[in-house]
Amino acid sequence: MAVELRPSETQPGPTGRPRLGDTLRQAWREFRSMRTALLLLVLLAAASILGSLFPQQSISPQRVTRYFQDHPALAPVLDRLGLFDVFGSAWYMAIYLALLAALVACLFPRARAFARVLRSRPPRGGQLDRYRTRAAFDTAASPRQALEAAAAVLRRRHYRLATHEEELAGEKGFLREAGSLLFHVSLLLLLVGLAYGKGFGYRGQAAIVEGETWANARVGYDAYSPGRFFGSERLAPFQLRLEDFSNAFHDDGTPREFASRLTALDLDGRQTQAQRVAPNRPMTVDGVRVFQSDYGYVPVVRVLGKDGKVLKQEEVLTLRDPASELSTGAVKVTRAQPQVGLELTMFTGLRTAPDCPGGLPFCNDPRLVRPVLVVLPFQGDLQASRAQSVFTLDQSRLRPLGARPLVLGLGQSGKLPNGLEVTFADLKQYSVLTLARDPGVPIVALGAALVLLGLVPSLYVTRRRVWVRATPTPGGSRVELAGLALQGKVAFAGELARLASEVERGTLNPAPHRPR
Amino acid sequence: MSSASLANLSETLAWLAVLSYVVAAVLFGLELAYRVRWVGRAGLAVTIAGLAANVGAAVARALAAGRVPWGNMYEFSVMVGIVTVAAFLVWVARRPAVRPLGVFVLLPAVLAIGLAGIALRVPAGPLVPALNSRWIAVHVAAAITGSSVLCLAAIFSILFLVKERFERRAATPAPPLVAGGARTADRVDVREAVAGYREEEPEPGPSTGGEPPAPPRRVWDRLPSAATLDELAYRTTAFGFPIWTFAIIAGAIWAQAAWGRYWGWDPKETWSFISWTIFAAYLHARATAGWRGRRAAWLSLLGLAALLFNFYAVNTWIVGLHSYAR
Repeated sequence: MAVELRPSETQPGPTGRPRLGDTLRQAWREFRSMRTALLLLVLLAAASILGSLFPQQSISPQRVTRYFQDHPALAPVLDRLGLFDVFGSAWYMAIYLALLAALVACLFPRARAFARVLRSRPPRGGQLDRYRTRAAFDTAASPRQALEAAAAVLRRRHYRLATHEEELAGEKGFLREAGSLLFHVSLLLLLVGLAYGKGFGYRGQAAIVEGETWANARVGYDAYSPGRFFGSERLAPFQLRLEDFSNAFHDDGTPREFASRLTALDLDGRQTQAQRVAPNRPMTVDGVRVFQSDYGYVPVVRVLGKDGKVLKQEEVLTLRDPASELSTGAVKVTRAQPQVGLELTMFTGLRTAPDCPGGLPFCNDPRLVRPVLVVLPFQGDLQASRAQSVFTLDQSRLRPLGARPLVLGLGQSGKLPNGLEVTFADLKQYSVLTLARDPGVPIVALGAALVLLGLVPSLYVTRRRVWVRATPTPGGSRVELAGLALQGKVAFAGELARLASEVERGTLNPAPHRPR
Repeated sequence: MSSASLANLSETLAWLAVLSYVVAAVLFGLELAYRVRWVGRAGLAVTIAGLAANVGAAVARALAAGRVPWGNMYEFSVMVGIVTVAAFLVWVARRPAVRPLGVFVLLPAVLAIGLAGIALRVPAGPLVPALNSRWIAVHVAAAITGSSVLCLAAIFSILFLVKERFERRAATPAPPLVAGGARTADRVDVREAVAGYREEEPEPGPSTGGEPPAPPRRVWDRLPSAATLDELAYRTTAFGFPIWTFAIIAGAIWAQAAWGRYWGWDPKETWSFISWTIFAAYLHARATAGWRGRRAAWLSLLGLAALLFNFYAVNTWIVGLHSYAR
């Protein structure tokens, strides 16, 4: 064992009380025991349940916000306990770090013990009639022939053998412990790969409008989370151009496919790659994976003044509701006097009364069949100098302009009550891409492969020891077999019986080339 | 055949499978209660017929939808039926004594498919884009196989707990014959340990005739010994656990290929991890003094609960990235 110290180093205390060193050693031994690992595993499972019962900040921040609104008294307490970020909380980390530490602590003595077992010879069996699994038969062969036959049978079954005078000892199933050690080491390797990839990689999201070219730089990302050791100056130097975006639906309105046709360019604008990126079809540029994550619509809106001059021409980024495929956005015409704000709702396929389910007056077809822009105008102070969302209007100092919204088909124009003309000039789409770099992938892949490679023998291979003893009798010899199974004990009884009958057959028909 | 008629055929076959499993379960139950061999053999035949119908249901569904038949909860349940029953048949082929336990295996399969047929049925249709990947064939197939086999293992653990309780009551002075229950058990006479399942081996001879054999003492006496059930549970877990591990790893690889990250603690991922952890704990418990036998079996039960929660509760109540798999 790893911590066996010689008695001279641990002199008993004068009072006979256990010394601190002994207590610590005892605690250490307990820590790396199987029982600790077991309890920590159960604890880890219990802690993970909490993470699935409460909304998690990292998965759905909106639901956490809603939880705070619904439970104003309870939520701050839960937040204090880290229940909205269980998997990043200190106590969750404490559990799994303790589990990993216990794992490492028990791997070393186990590996040492295993190495010792591999070097040693299968030991003697002692008194064979003590074992619960036994077999015996009489044969005409001499004791030596009988043991030779037994050795042949056991060797065929991949037993490691040792001869102790009139006794043959065989042992097999070392792959179990080897597999178990490999599994646990590979699990660590896999976790190291995950941590390495997270620390030295990054993830980000970017939205690109059709026809636009986007440069891979920190400012280009709408969301950006670098690993602790990833410097943003190391972002690969490339650009992406969204040639076009397409989405298709099944007849029942469920999405069938959406895809971006992307071209990668170097910083000088030379094309390096071109690919259609869709869900499950990412593209790799300079070691960065580009994934299709979302999309939206970009209506092009033109606003003309009373004098016919262009006050505003804008590609309006809108937010798409995936359930209804309705998109909402806002146009802020700061140059109008007084200022004008337009609230936009875009239908991909406006349908009216008889075609709508449930007697609704109008509804939306998710397919892009009849794009219609509903424009709700406001007048007053946009407060544009204050920080605000680009998708909505701050209505605190605005009042409605006219009683009815403008309903514009693609290419149509309409006049507002104050004489401004609004045109739905064009319609584009934007694509939301996730970009990620993960240098840990090869390590994780290797770890995962080895985990599986180690796991199978660690569960299937069974450790067995078998002893065969032959004693001379007047008619030849009496052969006794005894065995010990560490796993699969019930099946072992049959196994030993089969072994015995094979050995018996072997003694009847000795091998043709009899040695010596 | 048209897609619609194939889908209809699939449903008919699924109900036929359910019906066969019910009949077979009754027959196995009779075999367990009255120890009539031919009833058990008939049950086996009906089970095999039911499995054929079950496989037919999946194949027809695959043809109707033009893809792998495991794209939603209904199809998943039908596949779980196939794997559970097939795994049980493998055990029966290897150990005939296990056969009467069919009652306890077929009834859950009936519940799974029946519930799916009543509450989770959806028309055979194409997959949403996020699922449309070659990985669905690997990840979901492994998840189906792994979780079904682990469920079967947990059923054996439940039976072990029951039988062990009866054995303890029956033989108060003797130490319990839990596999590895104590080191001393190794040195106990082997006949005791194997007696339980030897007894269940069908005895050759003309005893299959009309008159019922000696009245049964208790049904539980007919179960294989606790040691045998414990080993069945362990070996079934040992088969299912690596597959479940592979399913989780394949899922992580798919997540990396589709979203650029392996793991996001999505509720589905979290509960897979929870059930994996519990079954890992079960495997450790079997090597830990004081945890072997009963306590380990309880862990296996907890694992079953986690698997069921992951399938039914997470898919229907909890919102997550896997919601489309409904």
